[in-house]
Amino acid sequence: MNQNTDLLTLRSVSKSYGTVPVLHDIDLSIRDGEFLTVLGPSGSGKTTVLRLIGGLEPLTSGEIRLDGQDIGHMPINRRPFNTVFQDYALFPHLTVSGNVGYGLSVRHVPRKEIVRRVAEALELVQLGRFADRFPAQLSGGQRQRVALARALICQPRLILLDEPLAALDLELRRQMQEFLKSIQREIKTTFLFVTHDQEEAIGMADRICVMEAGHIRQLGTPHDLYYKPNCEFVARFFGENNLVAGQLGMVQGELRSIETALGRLICSISGQPHLKAAPDGASAYAAFRPEALHLADTQDTDNRFSGTIADLAFAGSSTVATIAAGVDSAAQRLRLRVPSRVDGSALKSGETVSLSFAPHEGHLVLA
Amino acid sequence: MQPAERRLSLLVTVLAFALPVLFVLVPLAIFLGYSFFSVDQGTIVYGLSLGNYVRFFTDPIFLPVFWNTIVLCISVAIICILLAYPAAYFLTTLEGRWRYALLMLLLVPLLMSYVIKIYAIRSILGLNGFLNKALVAVGILQQPSTLFVFNMNAILLTLTLLLIPFAILPIFLSLERIPQVLLRASDDLGASGLQTFLRITLPLSLPGVASAASFVFVLAIGDFLTPQMVGGISGFTFGRILYSQFGTAYNWPFGAALSVALAVVVIAAILIGERFGRNRGTSI
Repeated sequence: MNQNTDLLTLRSVSKSYGTVPVLHDIDLSIRDGEFLTVLGPSGSGKTTVLRLIGGLEPLTSGEIRLDGQDIGHMPINRRPFNTVFQDYALFPHLTVSGNVGYGLSVRHVPRKEIVRRVAEALELVQLGRFADRFPAQLSGGQRQRVALARALICQPRLILLDEPLAALDLELRRQMQEFLKSIQREIKTTFLFVTHDQEEAIGMADRICVMEAGHIRQLGTPHDLYYKPNCEFVARFFGENNLVAGQLGMVQGELRSIETALGRLICSISGQPHLKAAPDGASAYAAFRPEALHLADTQDTDNRFSGTIADLAFAGSSTVATIAAGVDSAAQRLRLRVPSRVDGSALKSGETVSLSFAPHEGHLVLA
Repeated sequence: MQPAERRLSLLVTVLAFALPVLFVLVPLAIFLGYSFFSVDQGTIVYGLSLGNYVRFFTDPIFLPVFWNTIVLCISVAIICILLAYPAAYFLTTLEGRWRYALLMLLLVPLLMSYVIKIYAIRSILGLNGFLNKALVAVGILQQPSTLFVFNMNAILLTLTLLLIPFAILPIFLSLERIPQVLLRASDDLGASGLQTFLRITLPLSLPGVASAASFVFVLAIGDFLTPQMVGGISGFTFGRILYSQFGTAYNWPFGAALSVALAVVVIAAILIGERFGRNRGTSI
């Protein structure tokens, strides 16, 4: 497996239901062996992408290429992909081994081999003891693993997972995330995972594809998306963020200034040539994370502004302060995240504080 | 709970048990009781004896007719299933509104008078009926045949036609209850359309098939009107014997014994239908 070669390529793929378009000219390459997460709010078209690849929906236009061949119109049962459905879709009248072996038995694999491979697959998902149970006798997490075993036993080129963890409670979801990731590492198969939960996406994905309103907004590693969002949507959607509107100013090497209601802010544009190229005065946002913001000390000369603490919220390991900043003090609400301390926060509600963030921790997105 | 409320709920409970007891169990018990009585010169002798049952098992007339009737009704059930399954399957492939409109249309005959339907079918099956005319017209028959009326065939055909709606409904409901995602999952795992039907759709619809079969069988075996009207002399069924015991022969105790025999078969059919009609505790 080579993570640098493309397994599957979507070229200007569009999908409409009747006259309602749900995907607009999507281009997407899935690399061999990667864990790619498609992340987006509901209605963003993320599940449609998965269903088009899996063959569960017909393509309106465009092509899906596998090994240089367009499989966009190949019937679902001939595609070398398998799906883990959102509500598992286990066959209620078959036992766990009947379910897991289904894909092999419809392909007329010899009985002995089916038995062997089913046992292997159940071992992999740690369900060896449950082979003779019916789906109704299993817990949610166990059904989930049966669905996974059923998909991976066919040795598909790509496993499609449609929000498979949505129905599980928080603790179980965490366990399953780790479990899925470890399975993926073990069998080295490409996973395409659809979710609306960004925490899930960050924790599991090699790369994340953020979708909104039928468009791909950004494709990159979780780190890239977090620190170098390329648009307002990603900056707001992906993690907590402070966005301050303004007009772009001068470029200074890897930094660029932006004139905002909080004064002139300096932000990093490293590795983002389109920000360097944007004209002066263009509308943009300065974006900085709540954990990048801090109480200013005397050394902070850049990105310094004052604000009033409007609210303090204790959130376990950290405390989040909501700050009213800017000239007209209702103009801008910012969030500040500081580590919690046992003897109470140094911050006081109603206090006016001086704040700052380091230029390399701020970034810009075009409006 | 308030005392008034408690009294009301007690009343509801009593009624819930009392009504079936009063209208089902008590009549059945009376039948069972009568089956041990006998008749002497038109009056019922209230003395217990097994005479009626001995007569039923030893008289060469009753057991063969009993057996033939069971075979006939099993045949009716099988034919109904074979015709109803494709119809129900077709219905589930239709879009929402058409699906129910057509289902209603198929169920309309249930609202019509039973006797009128039998007359209508009889005129279709008769010597100058539509069936014979059609078969002669297309050249399958040289001349009208008497094969279709006043014999066992006629009963078979008529019962099938009359009872098909009772088979379509449960099969349709069981097919409709199968989640579409299971069929997609089967496709996704590489199954062909036929494989998906045989391995997923068919097994998951078997509960509906089982209740359809037991419905049709039970309704067919209890029917005496249809054999009476289209069976002629050769189409003699157990229902007709039963009817004659209560009617012309005026031998209620023996009729009751025959009813008990019939009830045993009906209960067995319902239990079998129930046994296979249950999903193995495997809702999704």
